[in-house]
Amino acid sequence: MALRFSTCCVKNKAMASYEENPSQITQADVVVGIPSYNEATTIAYPTTQAGLGLLQYFGDKTAVIINCDNNSSDGTKEAFLQTPTEVPKIYLSTPPGVRGKGNNLMNLFAKVDALGAQACIIVDADLKSITPRWVRSLGEPLFMDFGFVAPLYVRHKYDGTITNNIAYPLLRSLYGRRVRQPIGGDFGLSGELVRIYLEREFWNEEIAQFGIDIWMTTQAIAHGIPICQAYLGRPKIHRPKDPGADLGPMFSQVMGTIFGMMASCEPCWRSVKWSKPTAVFGFGLGEIEQPPPVEVNADGLYRRFSEGITQFRGVWQRVLAPEVFAKLIEAAEIERAYFDFPSQLWAHILFDYAMGYHTLDGERETLLRSLIPLYFGKVYSFVLRTERMSLQEAEEYIEEQCMVFEETRPYLDERWGSTGDADA
Amino acid sequence: MPKILVVDDEEPIRLLYKEELTDEGYEVVSIASGQGLVERIEQEGPDLVILDIKLADADGLALLQEIRNRYYDLPVILCSAYEVFKRDVKAIAADAYVVKSSDLTPLKKAIRRALEGKSGERGKG
Repeated sequence: MALRFSTCCVKNKAMASYEENPSQITQADVVVGIPSYNEATTIAYPTTQAGLGLLQYFGDKTAVIINCDNNSSDGTKEAFLQTPTEVPKIYLSTPPGVRGKGNNLMNLFAKVDALGAQACIIVDADLKSITPRWVRSLGEPLFMDFGFVAPLYVRHKYDGTITNNIAYPLLRSLYGRRVRQPIGGDFGLSGELVRIYLEREFWNEEIAQFGIDIWMTTQAIAHGIPICQAYLGRPKIHRPKDPGADLGPMFSQVMGTIFGMMASCEPCWRSVKWSKPTAVFGFGLGEIEQPPPVEVNADGLYRRFSEGITQFRGVWQRVLAPEVFAKLIEAAEIERAYFDFPSQLWAHILFDYAMGYHTLDGERETLLRSLIPLYFGKVYSFVLRTERMSLQEAEEYIEEQCMVFEETRPYLDERWGSTGDADA
Repeated sequence: MPKILVVDDEEPIRLLYKEELTDEGYEVVSIASGQGLVERIEQEGPDLVILDIKLADADGLALLQEIRNRYYDLPVILCSAYEVFKRDVKAIAADAYVVKSSDLTPLKKAIRRALEGKSGERGKG
């Protein structure tokens, strides 16, 4: 068994990592990476499925499964290494005290590069619905000239509310690519793209945490990497989350990353007018299944929106354009049963917040916190509008919302342009 | 002058599109069959394809996949008399989905947007 501490050097930053490489693997064509923090009870399943997928679909290539961990204290390392697989395994960890999915993935990328891998597939450690086919669908396009593969799964209409109401419409209207699950957590990356990531153009503490997914997707688009979506058929089943209860720091990390990258990627998004579709790989592979229900606490969403009116009214007034603020107050005064957060108002708010993030440099933390109740208001409105809709109808509603974002883009262009050098 | 390839098995639709889109300043080539579509695209080199879903001899959604496999970035607008196919997940590979109507305003708008869309991606057609 090989145990070692190493230092992987990446641009402007060195991160020590702990490694266990029992099979002393020094080369691999394909890597499946599983980022984790305290996932001892769940990691065996995706590890097993990854091993089967690598054998079944990439049997002619050398492969390894890597768990990139945050020095978990619950026995994640042991659970991973003791999972029986024919494919060899490597365990990596950040040093004690260093947390974050982004940090885990940077360790993974350094290892992928060192192994000379052509393809890197990333899957979440708490996945309960992954099958060997997922490994095929996320990995095979990487050997067909695609450099970035995003997942496309069937999700419940209330699962992935940050994706549906923020990440997807913003990414699409800014960068012009329709990537339906830009923060899905399960991706395929070419070796070339991994090397681009290791250069860490624009990197911060938010990306080192949960901002990493939207950072990877945006970087792939900004670098002109050919992108496709892997149709995974089965729903993504992992730990259930109520959108009102489980927001945590993820919201601020994702939003901070999106807004922050708008400065570094300005030449890319400024030239975009309308979005284009993204090719889909894997139709007809496996059966389509319905996702499990997601419980949503609608009362809690509305309450937290209402509380925000008192708590953040002053911040909203400073960040939002006067006419947008007036529209927001008008919407807030509508009786609860008829409450509506129109898509155009939501687009104006997010574009104003993007501007605010650049111009109110010293207040970014407050600014992001003040966006949370607005997001709850938007999700509450989404729940009201879609409660009687089927998944497909809700999907159409999301698509219509995205078109409103695209049509509202000139508002952002005008505001951004009027500040001179907004990213200075 | 942007070139548009119309694939529709209904002659009146082909004539209507040809007349209206020519007036809009596009060069229009029409075909009635989905057979050998990818080869036809190779020959004609269109800037955009308008593709009927229910063709007499082919499934437009399957053809869309064939086009995407070869021409990653070629704008394709799906046209159908039926709204229901919009909900088929395969339709997301199209630039736009337009329900057929005598009013071609939505189609013309979709064409303008698709042709204005920018992609800086390398490779894949």
